[in-house]
Amino acid sequence: MNKIIYNEWLGFFRNKLFLFLSLFFLFFLVLVTYLGIIQNIKQDNAQEIAHKHIRAQWDEMEASNPHSAAHYGSYAFKPISVLNSIDEGINSVTGNVLRLEGHRQNDIVFSEVSQSLIISKFGKLKPSLIFQFIIPLILIFLSFNTYTSERQSGRLKLLLIQGSSLRKIVSSKVLSVWFIGLILLFVTILIQFIFNYSFLNSDVFLRLSFLFVSYAFYYLILINLTVLLSVIFKSSTASLSLTILTWVFWTIFYPTIVGNSTEKLNPLPTRVEFKEAMSEDRSKGIDGHNPRGERRDALEKSTLAKYNVEKLEDLPINFSGILMQEDEEYGNMVWDKHFGNLYKQLEKQKKNYQLSGFLNPFTALQSLSMGISGTDLFHHLDFLNKAESYRRVFIKSLNDEYAFGGSKTGERGWKASNEFFRSVEDFEYVSPEFLSIGKKYLYDVITLIFWLIISVVSLFLVTRKIKL
Amino acid sequence: MRHFFIFSYELNHFLKTKTKVVSYLFFILACIYSLFNGFQLHDKQLNTIKNIKEQETESLAKVLNWFENDLSGPEDRSWVDITDPYWAIRYSPTYVIKEPSLLLPLGIGQAEQYGYYQKLSIWSSPLDNDIVEEISNYERLINGNIDFSFLILFLLPLLIIILTYNVRGLESDLKFHDLVSVQVGDYKKWVFYRLLFYAVLLLFSVDCLFLSVAIINNVFSYQFFELIILSNFYILIYFISFYLIIIKSNGSISVAFKMIALWLTFCVLVPGAVHQYINLKYPTNYMTDFLDANRKDTYDVFKLSKEELNEQLIEIYPELLLSKHAKDSVINRTIVRNTMSAIVNQINVNAIEKINQQNFSKNNLITKAYFFNPLSFFQNKWNALTETDYHSYSDYRKYTQSKIDKRLELLVYDCWNSKKLDLKSYNEYLNLLK
Repeated sequence: MNKIIYNEWLGFFRNKLFLFLSLFFLFFLVLVTYLGIIQNIKQDNAQEIAHKHIRAQWDEMEASNPHSAAHYGSYAFKPISVLNSIDEGINSVTGNVLRLEGHRQNDIVFSEVSQSLIISKFGKLKPSLIFQFIIPLILIFLSFNTYTSERQSGRLKLLLIQGSSLRKIVSSKVLSVWFIGLILLFVTILIQFIFNYSFLNSDVFLRLSFLFVSYAFYYLILINLTVLLSVIFKSSTASLSLTILTWVFWTIFYPTIVGNSTEKLNPLPTRVEFKEAMSEDRSKGIDGHNPRGERRDALEKSTLAKYNVEKLEDLPINFSGILMQEDEEYGNMVWDKHFGNLYKQLEKQKKNYQLSGFLNPFTALQSLSMGISGTDLFHHLDFLNKAESYRRVFIKSLNDEYAFGGSKTGERGWKASNEFFRSVEDFEYVSPEFLSIGKKYLYDVITLIFWLIISVVSLFLVTRKIKL
Repeated sequence: MRHFFIFSYELNHFLKTKTKVVSYLFFILACIYSLFNGFQLHDKQLNTIKNIKEQETESLAKVLNWFENDLSGPEDRSWVDITDPYWAIRYSPTYVIKEPSLLLPLGIGQAEQYGYYQKLSIWSSPLDNDIVEEISNYERLINGNIDFSFLILFLLPLLIIILTYNVRGLESDLKFHDLVSVQVGDYKKWVFYRLLFYAVLLLFSVDCLFLSVAIINNVFSYQFFELIILSNFYILIYFISFYLIIIKSNGSISVAFKMIALWLTFCVLVPGAVHQYINLKYPTNYMTDFLDANRKDTYDVFKLSKEELNEQLIEIYPELLLSKHAKDSVINRTIVRNTMSAIVNQINVNAIEKINQQNFSKNNLITKAYFFNPLSFFQNKWNALTETDYHSYSDYRKYTQSKIDKRLELLVYDCWNSKKLDLKSYNEYLNLLK
């Protein structure tokens, strides 16, 4: 088996066109990976500058009323992950700026794509584009006639006479092409290690390892199926046509069809519907029986009872702050309901998309690639949830200061000091560790393994039954 | 006659090759599905717009009712005086809408990334949440929609590859290509007529699909015909390129490889490389100019004294000097504070101008790259014709800004002239605000 693989490689390297293309491709891959890293660093710097700029404005705030400060609010800028340089996933279409303020949970806005004309339908030239579109095609072209050419030239019979089994010959052919894919993958990962050395930690290492394994599995599936078709059809042209058709269907057509179908199964509201539903719940009460006026009266009574006084003016604290926070808590219930439903719908769509991987391994690979790179929907929702949790703590600290910081009810002009505002913690987003979020990709892993088993078993069965 | 024979031979060959027929039918079905999707999006947008307009009418009817019944405003808000321009405008939010083009089913473009309606108040700006982004599934957005333009620009070349990669290549593989030369004379003409068959087939099919949309939506506009010319030109470019590949190559595998390489280069690699380069040159804008205008600068305006507000408003609207309020010796705090949103608007306008300049430079670079990135040219030109490109939405935002400006102008001049509204003048207001 080793000898067949060795001979196969010898054959590849004797072909000058192959050698030239391989070297060119390697250089190209190194360049693309390097540029991806540079772009990541530039984007990261821009995000950091924006973040510091906004925080500086907060820190420089003069003594102000805490409620005004809650309206003044802050901004969260979506950071990019280290592995965004490999696969940017949904980052170009999601917004990047999230306003954090009192009374409302905002949407993230200002996506990259909304700032320009369309440039590329398949995204930037990053390693993922090459891994998902170019390398598979190269592997298909290297493997589609690896069996048929041996058969047509009569070498296959010669090898069989020499004692090799057909299964071994076919497996060796598959492995020899697969190793080429692995080398290209390895080079990219290595470049990531070299240029992103300062950002490396156990999580990034784990993610890169998973990335390597996922693509390696996918390439093996693709090569197995290509060789399988060439064994079945016995004609290079027919097998190539069918493989290319399958590839086009898998990578270009199918994801789009599934994306559309999942959205029809779990439709999303339009922005106007979404906003109206929230505003209705906000004013009428979440169940429609608890209007804001009644809630306010109940809170007033309970606060007066708690402090054992009869009038708001007699309270040792500022009732307005308590009222603001109570309103905030109620608002949070409304946001949880509506944003929660929206996120659930998005997660359902994602799950259906992942399940469609049983019909198309590319779906599983694409989902895993984005997930591992920290640029998929789950990571985006994690950012939004953490930013919202921060907003709640942030606004509560301002309302608490208003209520218990020294002012009394009716003192609308009361101001909190600059020291207080500086003491409010800043939002620092920490991306989830892959292990903590890993179970969300179980479907993708299972479907990829399912396809691997199917392709290996099919090739095994076909090579056993084939008659030369 | 010989050419007709080649043509009819190709028809026979096509009909007998199951893979080709299935691929062709599959493509046509996909096109029909994409048009169906386009119509659905078009209808969805129209329905949303209809609902919005109903809401707008409902909320304005409430105000009209106050005027008709001599009420000052909502029962629980005694401080509201609806005859005051400030309250009348505040209680009359109107929508600015971008109606979808009748050609939208032919190209969704960037339509799903932008909002197409915005509720205007005296504090609005054309970069508010509603207008800059619509709710969508991000992962679906990156894979794209089954959009007719996507099928023509990206998938049709692949269909052409499937249909034509073995023209001459098969004869070469079976080693009787020399025989063909003997029989037909000039093999280049033979290849040309064989390709012509597929070109006619595809152009006819695609144009029929175009016509179906034109008939359903009754849109035989200049843009529609330009779209047909653009798509046909694009398809012909591929046929010419593939013709050259076929006559310069030997064997179907070599032809297929080169054709796929050409497709990959122009549809995936070059646009991807240009995208990467442009992003390196112009990283994603975090819009801090607008954020500053919207937050810090706005709050700075809130802190200004009535004298400073007065001065700034006159600076923006010099004709205010002739107003009743300007002629008064005492500055009315309520009037200047009720109209200070015009100052904030001016700050927003300046910040948006900066952002537009940055986007302009970025888009300028994109268009300069059309020379070696022709696909983006076709894509953006197509989207421009279906009014779903960046510029269409940018024009819509500019129109929104003009409506905001108009609203504020009305607010400022009428407040400063202490105008009192009645039913008639409010109706005139509505005509201006809508």
